[in-house]
Amino acid sequence: MAPVPDPNNISGGAKRDEATTKVPSKDPKKKDDKKEEDMSEEDLQLKQNLELYVERVQDPNPELQKTALESMSSFESLGYRLTGTEGDIGSWGHEYVRNLAGEIAEEYTMRQGEESPVDDLMDLVQQIVAFHMKHNAETEAVDLLMDVEDLDLLLKHVDSANFRRTCNYLTSAAKYLPGPDDMLVLDIAYTIYIKFEEYPNALQIALFLDNMQYVKQVFTSCTDLLRKKQFCYMISRHGITLELDPEMVSDDVDREMLQDIVNNTKLSDGYLTLARDIEVMEAKTPEDIYKAHLLDGRVTSGPSVDSARQNLAATFVNAFVNAGFGQDKLMTVPSDSTSGSAANWLFKNRDHGKTSAAASLGMILLWDVDSGLAQLDKYFHSNDNPIIAGALLGVGIVNCGIKNDCDPALALLGEYIDKEDSSVRIGAIMGLGIAYAGSQNDQIRSSLSPILNDAKAPLDVIAFAALSLGMIYVGSCNEEVAQSIIFALMDRSEAELGEALTRFLPLGLGLLYLGKQESVEATAEVSKTFNEKIRKYCDMTLLSCAYAGTGNVLKVQDLLAQCGEHLEKDDIHQGPAVLGLAMVAMSEELGLDMEIRSLERVLQYGEQNVRRAVPLSLGLLCISNPKVTVMDTLSRLSHDTDSEVAMAAIISLGLIGAGTNNARIAGMLRNLSSYYYKDASLLFCVRIAQGLVHMGKGLLTLSPFHSERLLLSPTALAGIVTLLHACLDMKSIILGKYHYVLYFLVLAMQPRMMLTVDENLKPISVPVRVGQAVDVVGQAGRPKTITGFQTHSTPVLLAAGERAELATDKYIPLSPILEGFIILKENPDYREE
Amino acid sequence: MLTVSVKWQKKVFKSIEIDTSQPPYVFKAQLYELSGVPPERQKIMVKGGLLKDDADWSTMRLKNGQKLMMMGSADEVVKAPEKGPVFMEDLPEEEQDANLGYSAGLVNLGHTCYMNSTMQCLKSVPELNSELSNYQSARTKDVDQTPDMLTVATSELFSELDKSVKAVAPMPFWMELKKKYPQFAQLHNGNYMQQDAEECWTQMLDTLSQSLKAPSPSEDPDAVKALFGLNLRSRLHCQESSEESSETESVYSLKCHISHEVNHLHEGLKHGLRGELEKTSPALGRTAVYIKESLIDSLPRYLTVQFVRFFWKRESNEKAKILRKVDYPLELDIFDLCSEDLRKKLEAPRQSSSKGDDVKMTDAEGSSSGSGESSTGDQQGGALSHMTGIYDLVSLVTHKGRSADSGHYVAWVKQESEVLIS
Repeated sequence: MAPVPDPNNISGGAKRDEATTKVPSKDPKKKDDKKEEDMSEEDLQLKQNLELYVERVQDPNPELQKTALESMSSFESLGYRLTGTEGDIGSWGHEYVRNLAGEIAEEYTMRQGEESPVDDLMDLVQQIVAFHMKHNAETEAVDLLMDVEDLDLLLKHVDSANFRRTCNYLTSAAKYLPGPDDMLVLDIAYTIYIKFEEYPNALQIALFLDNMQYVKQVFTSCTDLLRKKQFCYMISRHGITLELDPEMVSDDVDREMLQDIVNNTKLSDGYLTLARDIEVMEAKTPEDIYKAHLLDGRVTSGPSVDSARQNLAATFVNAFVNAGFGQDKLMTVPSDSTSGSAANWLFKNRDHGKTSAAASLGMILLWDVDSGLAQLDKYFHSNDNPIIAGALLGVGIVNCGIKNDCDPALALLGEYIDKEDSSVRIGAIMGLGIAYAGSQNDQIRSSLSPILNDAKAPLDVIAFAALSLGMIYVGSCNEEVAQSIIFALMDRSEAELGEALTRFLPLGLGLLYLGKQESVEATAEVSKTFNEKIRKYCDMTLLSCAYAGTGNVLKVQDLLAQCGEHLEKDDIHQGPAVLGLAMVAMSEELGLDMEIRSLERVLQYGEQNVRRAVPLSLGLLCISNPKVTVMDTLSRLSHDTDSEVAMAAIISLGLIGAGTNNARIAGMLRNLSSYYYKDASLLFCVRIAQGLVHMGKGLLTLSPFHSERLLLSPTALAGIVTLLHACLDMKSIILGKYHYVLYFLVLAMQPRMMLTVDENLKPISVPVRVGQAVDVVGQAGRPKTITGFQTHSTPVLLAAGERAELATDKYIPLSPILEGFIILKENPDYREE
Repeated sequence: MLTVSVKWQKKVFKSIEIDTSQPPYVFKAQLYELSGVPPERQKIMVKGGLLKDDADWSTMRLKNGQKLMMMGSADEVVKAPEKGPVFMEDLPEEEQDANLGYSAGLVNLGHTCYMNSTMQCLKSVPELNSELSNYQSARTKDVDQTPDMLTVATSELFSELDKSVKAVAPMPFWMELKKKYPQFAQLHNGNYMQQDAEECWTQMLDTLSQSLKAPSPSEDPDAVKALFGLNLRSRLHCQESSEESSETESVYSLKCHISHEVNHLHEGLKHGLRGELEKTSPALGRTAVYIKESLIDSLPRYLTVQFVRFFWKRESNEKAKILRKVDYPLELDIFDLCSEDLRKKLEAPRQSSSKGDDVKMTDAEGSSSGSGESSTGDQQGGALSHMTGIYDLVSLVTHKGRSADSGHYVAWVKQESEVLIS
């Protein structure tokens, strides 16, 4: 059958138009004076009939009234069908069925309005759905059922041949439906997947719905241990905390093994396998990234004196570039060469710079908890507070996304939460936030919550505590945490509310409701009572967090309206509103493209503080996905006369190119580094961006989306959003002494790989085709899912918008979504040719 | 008695027995034997908490076979170096800029960019710097003391530039310059008039050469001449009478004439060394056209090249600027402009260094081709290859703007064999 993208909408829509024009009295758009002349004889006849019916409806005789009502349904075919004989509905052909479906939908809404019974219609719907489902028109069947609000009917009619296409259409339609319909649709899709034992997809939807009951059901429904292992890999990529119970996996030994996968303990090994295969193990220095020799023009031999700012930049670049590789050339030099200058890199950073330097060791040993703790140990015994703070933060970073029975991060950091020195406290608090993001760990809550309401605690400690709690309870809607943060906000003095770091309090609050839509309303109501200095900021943050990743058009409009205001005094709430635009719209491609265009308008007409947030918003929309148009816009803004706009644009260039090694962005940044050679702050931003572009030497991504862009990892988004909020006041936070907030990005860092493992979870290499993903929703048959592919052997890197498929029949992948760790099973039917 | 396993770094110590009647310190001592980590540096993690030395085992509810984790190392504890590094941000503001590696600028006193750029060019000649710093005011009883005063002012200005990292306002120098050369003090609408950098350059060299003449005749008689002067040997040839005469003259700069066929500095220089002039021929008894062909007889340490971009448009009676783009290399070879004698002298050293230099030449030309904006250029060649006739570009003064009477001068000085900086 030829591909018909969405036949129902096109032909059905046309039919409906026709039907309405036949009945001019029902069409308000028609001009009255021309009505009579324009009508053909046939129409005139119809009109007269209609007038007759209207007259009869008013007739006291109920019998007559009823027939009139029925005939008045202006839908001819439906009317005849209802009164006529019941026969095979398909015998009149597709066109007829489609027409009928369109009429039913309208009739249904009409009757709903009148509250009259619809049983006769539903009988017809049954027949039509059965017909559509048999004839490759799943999309039309789903559309009709959505119109008549009875999706459950689908379950009766799906079979092994059409359930995939049906579910595919359901999941992609869900993105465009208003709540709560979207949840309903996904629910049906989940039920269908479970029915056909397509568990990976079912799990995907369960994760999307954030429904732990469903996740558990997937485990209990499936009996195959190997498949369960694959589920665990999927859960670990999503970054949620899950404790397997005996119901899910009965055997103790098996459960422990599966729990290990969920806990991400093998992530480091997998990543290093990839790195060795691609041959990028060799450590890189910041100079390798800056590539100053490629710049012609103004290059001096470099300042003769160390610049603390530039050394700090080098620290970050080194950390990002060598993230997870376990070796570098500044921090992890073998201990026997301590006399060398490299070993003293830590001390080439000043004061709070040492915190970031010590913590960078955690980034270099990312995910490798054993070595990480061993190497960070030496900093714990330092008598220099910033170094201890860095060690604590480093422990948090090493443990990011990794869970362990012994809870080393909690054990080590818990002790330092209430220390005297506030930098040490912040290090411990932030470390906990990173290590336990999304875990909803009660023990941490009980130790962090008191800080929020401690009158003696300094503002920065309180701000970071709120933030960490927000991360740990991300998307949980936890009442108690919300209360603590609300009280903390209310306790702030007028002066404190003006501080740059105060913004972390509303943000922490917002993170609790990340993606939870209406659940935020009660808290949003409370926020209206806040001091006016923070009220609107809080409002915008809550709104944007709650609707993050939903693509809710109404919320986008709300936020746009806020950005369009031209305020007299410098109000800070427009920043989060602009970021909110991106957060809400980032989930699906169409909305994303529209958002990029509308941000261009915001840039032109917005006030200065709106303009400053626009580059960050663009950075979030295209994170680790360097679209050329956005790249050009940001490149233009990076030369803006307003240095804050320029800084934001430069950081965003780094974000959109994060982990891609994109040569064009790298070139732009190199030129910017010579353009801004005199401006230490801008140069710092350029360096950070350069580090981001080469993050993990090109093996990592910051994108919070995974599983073919369906799932949004809440912890990853929380990390990025936090950094962006910090960037709204670059001067006081990142260019001030809180530069280590850059490490919040670690929450979003994931290898952008596909690694195939055998049944014993040992990596094996198989040929795969990697190409641009093609949208196959609503297409009949088995269309190609990728285009312009190349064949590689695993492990392979996947860029944004790319999809992989196995190029051999020898193995069967246990998940249809070929991303991250994929378990391969030998194909029993395979024969060597 | 309990049995636990302890994970330490990548190792696992299996089935370690704990004597629950003893304090945890004893357990730590057991681990010390296994790992070599002293007990005080051991951190043992039990379910989200650290094992305290005086803790009570019974309250911890350990299970048999439980896994514990230990952190700690026998590594040396990091110590701050005795002397921390000095950071640029800690230095006073002035020194910060100095560390970026640029020399100080001069403040524009109102249409004095020609002077500033000329002085920056002169400043880029280290020999002249040292010459000036050694300069002792002669204080002779000459009637005209102005050259001396100007030289002293120059010397002071240079030393000030060396010391300062901020822009220097060359006020005293400016006063002296006006005193010596009143044409620079001309006013136009109440402002000082725009002036020609070339004129300033020539006058400055003139003054300096006057006053820098060594007091004792045993030394080099004229430092400036040694640095900048070159001798031209010209041959005058009258085509009509076949008369020939030759003369030598000493000049401070080569002129690069720009006509429509000149695309490159070298062509312009050749052009400038050939000229026609009318003069009375003794043989013919009337004026006749002579062709003057000049060749360089001796090379200076620094070669000045002037692009003659301003000319007098006869038909419209106004000064105009030639906007033609002329390439100039970062390294200039003037071998073929030299006289026979000089060529012979140059040949030997050239042989030895020719290979390396050739490569450099191509490089240099490539990167300089974009600078067509520059107009009146005073170019100076460096003298590393003094004996080879190949000059490095050290600095140049360029004029921006279309007309001859206005515009802006910028000096570009080459930094230690690296790049040009304004």
